[in-house]
Amino acid sequence: MTTGVPLTPTALASAAMPEAPPPALPDRDVERFVELSVALTGFDAFDLHGTGMARFYLRTVLDQIGDQPYHDFETALEQAGLDPEKLQGEVAQDLARAIAHLWYLGVWPPLSATVHAELRRQVANTGFTASPEAYVQGLVWSAFHGHPQGAKAPGFGTWAAPPPGAPELPPPGRHRRQAGDGR
Amino acid sequence: MTRAREVDGHRYDVIVVGAGMAGTLVAKRLGDQGWRVLVLEAGTKTLNTWPGHLDAMNTFYSSLIKVPNAPYRANTAAPSPSVLDTLPAKDGHGYRSVGYLVQDGPLPYGTDYLRADGGTGMHWLGLTPRMLPQDFKVRTEFGYGRDWPIGYDDLQHYYCEAEREIGVAGDTAEQAEAIGLPFPEGYVFPMHEIPSSYLDRVLARELDGKSVLDRYTQQQVELQVVNTPHGRNSTPNQAYDGGRGFRPESAAGLPNYGERCVGNSSCTPICPVQAKYNPLKTQERWNRKVTLVDRAVVSRVLVADNGRITGVEYQAYDDPGTPVATTHTVEADIVVVAAHAIETARLLLASEVANSSDQVGRNLMDHPVMLTWGLMPGQIGPFRGPGSTSGFEKFRMGDSRKKHAPWRLVIANWGWTWAAGSPGSDVADLLGIPDSPFKPRGKAVYGNQLRERLGDRIGRQVAFQFELEQDAQPGNRVTIDPRYRDALGNCRPILNYDLSDHVKKGMRAALDVSHQIFQLLGADERTAYPSDAPSYFQYDGAGYTFQGAGHGCGTHVMGDHRHNSVVDQWQRSWDHANLYLVGCGSMPSIGTSNPSLTMAALALRSVEKIHHDLMDLHRPLVLRPTPVPGYAQPREA
Repeated sequence: MTTGVPLTPTALASAAMPEAPPPALPDRDVERFVELSVALTGFDAFDLHGTGMARFYLRTVLDQIGDQPYHDFETALEQAGLDPEKLQGEVAQDLARAIAHLWYLGVWPPLSATVHAELRRQVANTGFTASPEAYVQGLVWSAFHGHPQGAKAPGFGTWAAPPPGAPELPPPGRHRRQAGDGR
Repeated sequence: MTRAREVDGHRYDVIVVGAGMAGTLVAKRLGDQGWRVLVLEAGTKTLNTWPGHLDAMNTFYSSLIKVPNAPYRANTAAPSPSVLDTLPAKDGHGYRSVGYLVQDGPLPYGTDYLRADGGTGMHWLGLTPRMLPQDFKVRTEFGYGRDWPIGYDDLQHYYCEAEREIGVAGDTAEQAEAIGLPFPEGYVFPMHEIPSSYLDRVLARELDGKSVLDRYTQQQVELQVVNTPHGRNSTPNQAYDGGRGFRPESAAGLPNYGERCVGNSSCTPICPVQAKYNPLKTQERWNRKVTLVDRAVVSRVLVADNGRITGVEYQAYDDPGTPVATTHTVEADIVVVAAHAIETARLLLASEVANSSDQVGRNLMDHPVMLTWGLMPGQIGPFRGPGSTSGFEKFRMGDSRKKHAPWRLVIANWGWTWAAGSPGSDVADLLGIPDSPFKPRGKAVYGNQLRERLGDRIGRQVAFQFELEQDAQPGNRVTIDPRYRDALGNCRPILNYDLSDHVKKGMRAALDVSHQIFQLLGADERTAYPSDAPSYFQYDGAGYTFQGAGHGCGTHVMGDHRHNSVVDQWQRSWDHANLYLVGCGSMPSIGTSNPSLTMAALALRSVEKIHHDLMDLHRPLVLRPTPVPGYAQPREA
């Protein structure tokens, strides 16, 4: 180590490390975020915790819009009886969209231009994948009994199996004709 | 590891320009024959270690739009085109091209390639259909495009060799029966076929034996779902190679891994386990006669006054982010340029070699892809397995080719991902998020309703890819202009690209077929071609859009005469006896087959000629007395 930065947590050290991770979010905040997310996504708390992404997503949301707008959103959704479709106001509605989008795809979307302005955000209004793992943990794939493309591979030949509720089918072509010929 | 500057001034038996699929195979065979081979790769070789591969995986996961080049790092010293470079024109009519390729033709060339170790062979889909015997003589048989100087029979042996090198999985009996492909007696592919997807099975149940009408020939065409050969590890066939069987190749950098496809459903852009063939697997089997040097951009092919090629000039750089290059030369008895159709043409034009025919850069082809899509009545399990496992093959052949371009009707296993950006677009749509922050937002659905509607909609998505044969047109061409250069000062490719009426008519016929198929399926067709899309055009009263297939072909076509072709049947330059141009650029016509397998077969065929040339050059001089006049010469038996 020749950076000259002292390894003790002095003011100088933290100034040299602007990317130092913020303090961990309290469990209680994460629990509340998951409760709201259950209403937004239609997946239960077990599934959402199971992604391993809840704390990271809450951190992403706070980084994107700031603490106060998020707390206002929490309050608004609770006052709407945890029914996102009853949310009033463009800001709350757009944040509901964005958080659901984040859970389903692992991607934080651009907010509407007016909401972006109203929140006086300090970050660019661009979409981004929250992390490589966020893509893999997107909920959309299990919504149709799939798996994320490029991850959680289900194994050789599984693509021939029927989706839930559909019948098994024989392979096309030669094999089926042979099977038919042989009874 | 050899650095690019270290080979400066050295001399090799063969220099291969480009470490993609063709160059890698050529180097493998020549190295095995004992020749000293130098492979110069313009891009980086970060992908040939397992950590490098994992880095590409993370880049892929993080990318917002998972296009073919998404996993691979940008390189300003050796830039690659991206399919995202083609944008709608600002006035809403036509296109503009914003990337590495300079485009000014009537229609956009919407195809990419990758300049990195392994080349575009890193993100090919991995389908390996052979060309049909009739594909080699389209001018004679059907009156369009250009004939090959060789035929299917000349390639038979090399097809089999390429299928060994790539490791092809498929069913020769079905290929022979359903498509009429001739194989050697008793020949089977190295591996059993990749199982057909559930969607294939549904389509076979609904459509096999039914037929659709070709509007131009008024003939009925029978529908039959046929499994496609893959360059993808499956179950080895014990009957292969006279009962010797086949051992699948494992991943590059991780032994005993990836020996069978596990259904990651991301063949393009990247196979996470490398069960799909990529050139890095062959590179692992190169012997020590082969030297690979990356970050070496060949800028000129060097020619002596007598027309012999002496070697190449290349630029060595260190950092792909801020390219600063030094220029070097290296010599060889034979130079093989295998740099991709567009890059090879660009290099030849910049070097002012091999072009006495004025055909270098001309006859640029691709398989224009027309997508159609809809919703099936029930769940069909999309986004599972390889991108496509089967197709309808009857549209590839026959007399309809006299009327319009043929196509391969590819069954897409990944829903509307190519057609409409699914599943991301479905989520955004149900949440009321438009494609721009400045557009008004729609009403959103949430909770169980969101989950169920997404499941219902995505689970029923079906899409077809009509991959049309494009005929060789001299006006579709690559040129260069010193005003357009990249960061190292090399000329960028300038493309002029259009579709002939033969192709457009094929699209018209294909769209008609698609409507009939959706009707037979009882599906809800959702195909839409917006008039502000970059590739939009009108033909015969209807509008179309198309995509590029990534099948760049035909810029240094082979022929039987030096006046009208760039290379001979061995892919050897007519103008320079020790210059070989190996790759899809040599193909005078491309049929409806994904071209990599045919390219590989051609490359292996050229190796035999290159080997003979080298043997001739290295043959010891034997002095013989002049034959006595009148003495009877022994004749060959």
